[in-house]
Amino acid sequence: MSVSGDPHGADPQEFLDEVHSFEFWFQAVEGYLHGHPYGHQPQQTEPALDPAEREALITTLCNYCVGETAALEGASGMISFAPNRRHKIFLATQVADEARHVEVLVRRLTDLGVADPEQEIQRRANHRLLTFRNRLLKFVYSRDWEAALFAQNVILECMEFTVFQAHARRSDPVTSEILEGLIKDERRHVGFGENELGRQLKATPIKRAHLQHIRTELDPLILHSFEELSIDLGMPASQRPELGRAYLAAVGRLGFGA
Amino acid sequence: MIDPLQDDSARDAPRQRYVLDETGFDEVPVKYRRFYRKWRGAEDSLAPNEVLCPVCRVVIRSTRDLRVGDRVYCMPCMSRLVVVEGEGGRLEAAVAY
Repeated sequence: MSVSGDPHGADPQEFLDEVHSFEFWFQAVEGYLHGHPYGHQPQQTEPALDPAEREALITTLCNYCVGETAALEGASGMISFAPNRRHKIFLATQVADEARHVEVLVRRLTDLGVADPEQEIQRRANHRLLTFRNRLLKFVYSRDWEAALFAQNVILECMEFTVFQAHARRSDPVTSEILEGLIKDERRHVGFGENELGRQLKATPIKRAHLQHIRTELDPLILHSFEELSIDLGMPASQRPELGRAYLAAVGRLGFGA
Repeated sequence: MIDPLQDDSARDAPRQRYVLDETGFDEVPVKYRRFYRKWRGAEDSLAPNEVLCPVCRVVIRSTRDLRVGDRVYCMPCMSRLVVVEGEGGRLEAAVAY
């Protein structure tokens, strides 16, 4: 069943059925990806970057690949223990999004002259992001739904959503257009995580202590990663707290205080 | 001055209707696009039929003026929201899990 006419008049269940459907995802991404092979318009001209800018951009894109690959592995693994069919279908759309993200980012590295992107990603990967990835995948392998959802769709996606926005504002036109497409996908991933976790915590508040423990463990990793990425992006020190703010706002809405 | 949010006559007044035009928003299926628009940052302002999604910062639009207690949905991030009175009486959206 689909929502008819005014979406704000829909029944909550009807709304969730609609927005978590493959059909909704397909029609949504068609709007902004059509005519954008590898994430940008073909006529977009390649910018002239000086060597230092190019180096910094390659390092940043390599770390985006680390995060996106972690999300690809995490989301695909979560499908098997997602609590219902609607969640499985949504996660399948997220897997498709994450796979596209990895592909367009690797393509961008190639366009920037990186001969062996896989090797370069390994060489430049931020060790904190790798630690975070390992922790996320442990939650997935142990089939801990709330922990995996929190680590992936709240913490990791929130970081990507915020960093991509900051980067898109200051990047070259090709990278910026690619990032704008990624940001549109991330809205769904962030929203799914926060809303689903919010519903779970409302129904079973006892799970809050478990997630608070995870937050305490992962916060330093993620906030230091924010700091390091903002330095790579050349953000002035005064603007860096902005990057962590969206994440802190999301966990605050879920009831996890400072 | 009478606070319109405290004034029963204002609360019970007929709703103003709005015709929603396309704004170029492309993140949801075509039939829903007119119900959303991009937030243009600090220089942007919200009309009486609009609230800002606190989760993904997209502007949610309604075909009528919004009032405290109204329920709206943010389709781009799949959030269910309730209109609340924020600082200074300004209408805001709060997530309803």
